[in-house]
Amino acid sequence: MSSDTATPAPPTDTPTAPQGERSRSSRRVSRDDLGLLLGLPALCAVLLGGWAVWRATAELDDIEARSLAWGLLVQLFGEHLLLTALSAAAVVLTAIPLGIALTRPAARRAAPAVVTVANFGQAAPAIGILILLAMWLGFGVPVAVLALSLYAFLPVLQNTIVGLQGVDQTLVEAARGMGMSRWSVLGRIELPLALPVIMAGVRTALVLAVGTAAFATFINAGGLGSVITTGLYLFRNSVLISGGLLIAVLALLVDWAGRVLELVATPKGMR
Amino acid sequence: MLEFVLDRAPDLAYRSFQHVSLVVQCVLLATVIAVAVALLVTTVPRLKPVANFVSSVGLTVPSLALLGLMLPVVGIGTLPSVAVVTFYAALPILRNAVVGLEGVSGNLLESARGMGMNPLLTFLRVQLPLAWPVILAGLRVSTQMSMGVAAIAAYALGPGLGGWIFTGLAQIGGQNAVNYALTATIAIVVLALLLDLLLRVLGRFTISRGISA
Amino acid sequence: MTTTEPTPTTDAGPESVSGAEIVFDQVTKSYSAQGKPAVDSLSLTIPAGQIVMFVGPSGCGKTTSLKMINRLIDPTSGTITIGGKDVRSQDPDDLRRQVGYVIQGGSLFPHMTVAQNIALVPGLLRWDKKRITDRVEELLDLVGLDPVRYRDRFPRELSGGQQQRVGVARGLAADPPVILMDEPFGAVDPITRQRLQDELMSIQSELKKTIVCVTHDIDEAIKLGDRILILQEHAQIAQYDTPEAILSAPANEFVEDFVGSGSALKSLSLTRVEEVELTEWTTATVGEPVGPVLERARAARQKSVVVLDQRRRPVDWVNIRALTGETVPAPVDEARDLHQIDHRATLNDALDTMLVSAYAGVIVTGRRDQYVGVATFEAVTALITARNEAARQAQEDADEQ
Repeated sequence: MSSDTATPAPPTDTPTAPQGERSRSSRRVSRDDLGLLLGLPALCAVLLGGWAVWRATAELDDIEARSLAWGLLVQLFGEHLLLTALSAAAVVLTAIPLGIALTRPAARRAAPAVVTVANFGQAAPAIGILILLAMWLGFGVPVAVLALSLYAFLPVLQNTIVGLQGVDQTLVEAARGMGMSRWSVLGRIELPLALPVIMAGVRTALVLAVGTAAFATFINAGGLGSVITTGLYLFRNSVLISGGLLIAVLALLVDWAGRVLELVATPKGMR
Repeated sequence: MLEFVLDRAPDLAYRSFQHVSLVVQCVLLATVIAVAVALLVTTVPRLKPVANFVSSVGLTVPSLALLGLMLPVVGIGTLPSVAVVTFYAALPILRNAVVGLEGVSGNLLESARGMGMNPLLTFLRVQLPLAWPVILAGLRVSTQMSMGVAAIAAYALGPGLGGWIFTGLAQIGGQNAVNYALTATIAIVVLALLLDLLLRVLGRFTISRGISA
Repeated sequence: MTTTEPTPTTDAGPESVSGAEIVFDQVTKSYSAQGKPAVDSLSLTIPAGQIVMFVGPSGCGKTTSLKMINRLIDPTSGTITIGGKDVRSQDPDDLRRQVGYVIQGGSLFPHMTVAQNIALVPGLLRWDKKRITDRVEELLDLVGLDPVRYRDRFPRELSGGQQQRVGVARGLAADPPVILMDEPFGAVDPITRQRLQDELMSIQSELKKTIVCVTHDIDEAIKLGDRILILQEHAQIAQYDTPEAILSAPANEFVEDFVGSGSALKSLSLTRVEEVELTEWTTATVGEPVGPVLERARAARQKSVVVLDQRRRPVDWVNIRALTGETVPAPVDEARDLHQIDHRATLNDALDTMLVSAYAGVIVTGRRDQYVGVATFEAVTALITARNEAARQAQEDADEQ
């Protein structure tokens, strides 16, 4: 029996390994995403509402009342949000330009090395980085922002690179062929097409930042983490749970905001 | 710093062992739970959005917050560490296991059934080996994450290297503060990378050459 | 392997039949209480040792009917027996281990090697290691894959056609009396499909299994089937007969439409290449000095030479002007498609192949792929004309009576 002519084997049924949260490629709004877009605010509203009712009606002892004073909590909430926003902004302003630079022909070869180094850093525990930086540079908000930014840097960098690399090169060529300059190709073709992937990275960065900001209290940089440490020192379960709940709600809200951003950033034709 | 490390070599070794053993055990437990849940989710498709919602929300909740929520329930010590680490470890594995198991084509499953394989055999010999590369990728993400989460869990007097980071913080200004925090952080990084390497090697041996990249 | 025609009816030598008879008795399958059933009261006997093709438009219940045989689907009512034994009296897994199952694309498990795929069912049946190894070897040989070369390959290292062959080997692995096939050759290109069909026929002539095969391709049904079952909606039997009978006397309009208008052309699918008067072509063996070869070709007034390997398998078909060296060279590109067909292929296949051949002819091979001769376009058309003439004559005779 003669062997068959070498027709290429059909694609096997092997699933491709997902790259994880960080480099999710652009995709349409799935039903799951829609569920999260609507479900997250609802979940937060229920949790926050339930907690507020409890806080307003429960009989608290002195310590609890002091630790859970409305004014204090609002202040901590604000601090936490500020830390998150500042570090996210710092990441966006540094990681995206670096990602763009690393996909330009001149620096393309350096990209894997930079990502590897960044990956290496990601393996370090956030709490360790934060505390070591504080020992080196002192306590306070600026150092906390620096630590958070370092920690949230990789997802944005990686997604910027992956997103830009994922842009169909024939489109770039077509744009060049139409006489667009390199800069306008970047601004009008590459970045808009890569934006969904980049924004997914930004959302991941936001989530990492809001979670890590809970440790800021360890270096006197404020945030809701202090509610938990207080609860633990004073053996007040109500305070512990309140702290956990508030941080969780804040994180979910930040994640939700990130999802909205992601959706808005996707060009209409690609949704 | 070398002197510091040498002085405390047995303690460092013991804490490293504790840390790794906590992570390894939790990841193993999480793998069993996650694959079982994923199998359930893929057989009852209606559960899938629920599973995705839970894993998305779960991964968003900061570890310190979860620790705060968990402590009143399970008290301080090893148990909250196990609970928190296992919880986070399960989520990436769950997500990948769902993707992996769903990726096994219906044709192959029908083939297996048509050849007289019962559901257990089909799972063990067809579904699991085919989904394994994706599950293993989830395991690697999960292990990496768990090393960090375990450090935080030490805040509630859990075992492992995290304790030294908090010792450093508590003794700040003291002569060994930096040594404690730095040694522990570096040790966690090194152990995390070692575990990752180990998982890669495991993949080499357990992923069929017919489906490896 | 014999060169006799595939047996059209039930008179195959009983001693050589290893298949078992399958009987459907009033089999009904409904998916919901309301609405018409997918299969409505189907009664049918599939004789032992034959290939029966299930054809019909999509949604006619042919696949459902097939899957009820190995209980991938359980009938709502009625019984199906294999060799007189009710399939529902057996544990479904045990039953399936004794019924081969081949589906589109081969459906090989990508994480297992070729050998592991084939060894699966024998393993489930707890055959001993040695027996399984031998069996795998035997089967790979049977489907035309060199065991040493292919045993340890993974499915993705095979072409589509090779994967399908392994699929067939896997279906045959435990030597089941009955083999079910669901669109087995649907996923490969036409030329590969034709070869796989030829091969299935030659395997069947050796093994005499009972093969039930679902297809949507009427040409495939005509070519492969000892009998064809044409189904209408709800698995109503439109006609169940030999290909010849279906072509010459369609039972109703539905069958006529389904078989298609070109019935005369369809008979091309009934005539095998072995019936064509083959032309003796000049042959050369790889490594032979060129001089005598050219002489032979000139004497035969042929401008091309069929090159054979040491085992007389055709490997190339070259123009004599290309023979410029000292000796006849081996083909440069081994994967190149040589325009050759098995002697069991149909005239349809032969004409298809000729269309892409450079020489208005096809090389015909026989047992173990050995060279038999060349079927030229003239010889094929001559046979068709003779056949049509005979058919017209027969029709006239019938009309006179």
